[in-house]
Amino acid sequence: MSGQSPSRRQVLQAFSLAAVAAATPGFSRWCYALGKAEQQPASGGGPGGAYIPKFFTPHEYRTVETLTELILPSEQGPGAKEAGVAEFIDFMVQNDSSLHEPFRSGLAWLDGAAGRQRTFTGLPRAEQTRILDRLAYKKYQRADERAGQDFFKLARQYTVMGFYTTKIGLEALDFPGLKFYATSPGCNHACDAEHTGI
Amino acid sequence: MREFDVIVIGTGAGGGIAIKTLCEAGLKVCALNAGRELIPEKDFQEHRMPYDMPFRGFGSPKQRAESVGYMDNEYGPNIWEHDLAYSTAPGTRWMWPRCFAVGGKTNFWGRSSARFAEIDFKAASRDGFDVDWPVSYDEIAPYYSRIERMIGVASTVQNRPSNPDGVYLPPIRFRCRDYILQAAAEKSGIPYLPDRYAQLTVPHEGHPACHYCGNCTNGCDVGAFFSSPYFFLPKANATGNLELRTNALAREILVDSDGRAKGVAYVDRGTRREVEVYGKAVVVAASCIASAHIMLSSKSRHWPTGIGNSSGQLGRNLCDHLYGTTAFGYLPQLLGAPSFPDNVSSTSVAWLPRWQNLENPTKEKFIRGYSMYPDGGCEIFPSYYDDIEGYGSSYKAEIKRRYPTPLSFYVQAPSQRSDKNFVDIDPEKKNIYGIPEVRIHFEWDENALKMWEHAKESCREIFRNAGAIYEGHGEIESPGFSLHETGTCRMGNDPKHFVTNRFGQSHDVPNLYVCDASVFLNCTDKTTTLSILAFSLRTSEYILQNFKAGEHRSESAI
Repeated sequence: MSGQSPSRRQVLQAFSLAAVAAATPGFSRWCYALGKAEQQPASGGGPGGAYIPKFFTPHEYRTVETLTELILPSEQGPGAKEAGVAEFIDFMVQNDSSLHEPFRSGLAWLDGAAGRQRTFTGLPRAEQTRILDRLAYKKYQRADERAGQDFFKLARQYTVMGFYTTKIGLEALDFPGLKFYATSPGCNHACDAEHTGI
Repeated sequence: MREFDVIVIGTGAGGGIAIKTLCEAGLKVCALNAGRELIPEKDFQEHRMPYDMPFRGFGSPKQRAESVGYMDNEYGPNIWEHDLAYSTAPGTRWMWPRCFAVGGKTNFWGRSSARFAEIDFKAASRDGFDVDWPVSYDEIAPYYSRIERMIGVASTVQNRPSNPDGVYLPPIRFRCRDYILQAAAEKSGIPYLPDRYAQLTVPHEGHPACHYCGNCTNGCDVGAFFSSPYFFLPKANATGNLELRTNALAREILVDSDGRAKGVAYVDRGTRREVEVYGKAVVVAASCIASAHIMLSSKSRHWPTGIGNSSGQLGRNLCDHLYGTTAFGYLPQLLGAPSFPDNVSSTSVAWLPRWQNLENPTKEKFIRGYSMYPDGGCEIFPSYYDDIEGYGSSYKAEIKRRYPTPLSFYVQAPSQRSDKNFVDIDPEKKNIYGIPEVRIHFEWDENALKMWEHAKESCREIFRNAGAIYEGHGEIESPGFSLHETGTCRMGNDPKHFVTNRFGQSHDVPNLYVCDASVFLNCTDKTTTLSILAFSLRTSEYILQNFKAGEHRSESAI
């Protein structure tokens, strides 16, 4: 079985989490990101309408939206917001009991980091990024914030999963596969075999 | 009571070519298949995008937890076997993805199709380990050529001693990365060449050319690469000589009062009833471990330890390919390059065929040799996302910039025959049909582990030569991962030491034949399917000769 891609395999392994039965997905904004007119949301509103989260509380859900939009912002092309990443995460967490606690406590951690009487979503953007910088970059990381760092890693993983598996996410990569090619696509730089000049 | 000429157990590569050959010659064949028939338009949905699936191709948590391998995924649920348990000895890990659907693993195989060589068949004479095959390359070569013409294999003439050239369709064109890696490998004297892949680069024998969508591993709904259901079974069916019984799980080969095979007892998985079917000859082609399981389960007064096991070698000598990612990282010269369809075949377009121990068989610290395949490029998911620090616009831009660059290699290193590696019948455990389970005993031999180390070093060199950024290597995959197991019914001239003769016929039971990789002496550094097809074609024609010579009597006109 020469023929499997180790990187694809690594991805599948990275996501091999505990078992829980699947349920019907209920994407609203996300399914509009697909560009499939016939696909209707199973619940929640349409474009512009409010999505009703299945797992998260309304406050948690707003935090997920804020966080994912900071991770993949709508700058230089669409981001987590247009791809409905928060809804995707709500669906994935709802269907995977092993994710319940990490997301719930991670979102609470962010509110804790925002300071007394404040929430992460309520902070000005500059303060939000100051917190995320401490979680995302080794040079700013603090030894007593391991819990926050772990959650950030998890949230970033699910944000990437949620974004790059939508139509707009794949378009952002200019994904060249699953298409029809009449002849085998090949390199056109044979004159520069080592590709030092491309 | 109806009696067939031949009962064939299994419809994959080995069974498929046997069924086609025997039916076309006029014999009445009953084929038993342990699973259902696949419906291409329903079961092969390889053109779906991730967003066409609820879990975006990653599968539900339940499916991920129960998956028997990377191919058992959200693209094709309910294709891989989950209901029939098997057992492993303490200390043995064995991953055993089984596709019991009609056509077996040919529906999803990796398609790499190199011939075995004289250097493989006579390896023992060269290095003194184990024994030679009872066949020469010249004897098998014509069968390879005929198979290559039937199934269509794309490659180039390469003139390498370990890789005899065959009859080829035009190759898939090299991608940018191939030119970079070829130059880098050659600096170290390592060959980097077009793989030999059974993928139709031009229309062939009524089958359409490949459209390079790149998702072959999830099945091909147009049949642009060889599989038994697309290439062989319709031809067999057209003769009117084939009766295919699906969901028919072979349990035991039945014998007559002389100890010769007289038919097969199977479980009808729909009704859970046991059914017997009779034939003048039986072909076992259920795949290496399953074939040994059926034969070991066929105990009788004549064959107290399993049919055809007077040598005591039935189930022994299990070999497998050690697989693992020997290096991963990325090619900085491709940073920011336009996206390119690197995964046109969902496998490597190129390979690094064995280059070790060719002239001098004992040059390396290990005997024999291994091959490698490259991987990477613009894939369906940016799985390197975790190697990039940060978040925000710069993170998003870096994911895009790195998209064309990922690079990895994986090794295909054969294990060698060992007394420690075999299958037997578990004395206690039974599967859901009450059939005692097959039990697998396996560990990697030192020789294969030395190859793994050598391959990792070779990759470091290629990375250095290519100016690639090395980020690490993977772990050795679980035994069984490659699906290239061989050896449980090895062929040889001496009935005391081998289960089958040089034609794959049981030494003990002359109307019992084995048509899969169980007859191979070892797994070599090449993939097994092409050789299964060639050897099975040869065995099938030998069966026909025996029918014509009156060894197995038939009323059919052949």
